[in-house]
Amino acid sequence: MSYYFTIFSPTDTPLFTHEFGTSRSSGDGIAHFSPADRHLAPFILHSALDILEEVQWGPSSTAGSAPMYLKHIDKYANNYVSCWITGANVRFLLLTRPRDEVLGSGGGLGGQRGSLAGGRLGVGGGSGVYRPDAPATEEAVKNFFVDVYESWVKTVMNPFFHAGNGHVVKSPVFRARVAAAAKKYL
Amino acid sequence: MSSSQPGGSGLRYPSNKKTIYDRNLNRSKNAELSRAAFAYLFIEMINLAQKNAKDVGDLEKRLNSQGYPIGVRLLDLLLTRSANPLASIRPTRILPLLQFIAQTLYRHLFGRPADALERSGDDPSQYMLFDNEPMVNTYISLPREMSNLNCAAFVAGIIEGVCDGAGFATEGVTAHSVGVQEEGKEGKAMWPGKTVFLIKFKKEVLEREEMLARGGG
Repeated sequence: MSYYFTIFSPTDTPLFTHEFGTSRSSGDGIAHFSPADRHLAPFILHSALDILEEVQWGPSSTAGSAPMYLKHIDKYANNYVSCWITGANVRFLLLTRPRDEVLGSGGGLGGQRGSLAGGRLGVGGGSGVYRPDAPATEEAVKNFFVDVYESWVKTVMNPFFHAGNGHVVKSPVFRARVAAAAKKYL
Repeated sequence: MSSSQPGGSGLRYPSNKKTIYDRNLNRSKNAELSRAAFAYLFIEMINLAQKNAKDVGDLEKRLNSQGYPIGVRLLDLLLTRSANPLASIRPTRILPLLQFIAQTLYRHLFGRPADALERSGDDPSQYMLFDNEPMVNTYISLPREMSNLNCAAFVAGIIEGVCDGAGFATEGVTAHSVGVQEEGKEGKAMWPGKTVFLIKFKKEVLEREEMLARGGG
């Protein structure tokens, strides 16, 4: 599986982007996006922001408050988008691209056909098929977000860092922290 | 993946090799700052704001903008501290947000909750947060020509930062002294330094609130 992770400022500016692969089931931790997929990913994430704005105020669990973890919110072709929104409206979006075998499409087939198969299987479900709403998947993504969130709060505590002004996170330590969380949970 | 080795990236580490990412967020949870140190710093902040201010309104605006970034930061920090971080929740309605300000934020800043929270009778978009004795004004005496200045504008800026950060845009949060007005009515005011923070939300925030209420959230 390949992941593409981006942090968006409250004004939709990407502040941090990191791509990685799964470290589970003998994964090598390296993202395997085709060049086309890689270029498509920012567009998918930006389009997911629209859906995010609808669900972020959504039905609250406890009176007047909503969780930061919004789970799986959008899907485009074989790409699944999960979201975490911080108190200050900074959005973490994680794009998950399962391997073709897991999607049930033969791999190497046309993108059109692959996306149809993915769509049907996503609804129908079945063993061995990637499901973004499986409890184990949700939990893993949540743990990843929780770790990133902690590092993020430490970043914004820096008085010289203004997420609202589109300051990009340059710290290699932050990137290492995200990579460590990814390796641990995804 | 970029390297995290010191030196190679030109990143400078503190002498104890601890970056901000290695420090615990709750380290200063119960730490208290000396009041004298705060007063000294605050006076300097007012001095700085006063240097280029044209009038009292401008001065208050400058104090407000000094507080604003603090509010945005405290919002996330206090949300991570308030509960189990795994169950992180954020306010999505006006009332929980204001309660967060009056309770959590106030406790963090001044060690006690705010004294009262009211909704304005004639303007539904306006909320009033009362502080009987603002800590920031403790050591401030106003000269006669600036008698309508209230340095709690700094705290108003923090409140505005929290509201804006949480996605509740405001027309502005302002601090007003009301202790003197009460004096006229009752002879002697119990709280001469009483301050009210007027929080006026933007129209779209109230519209959203109404829609959410109808949606049965």
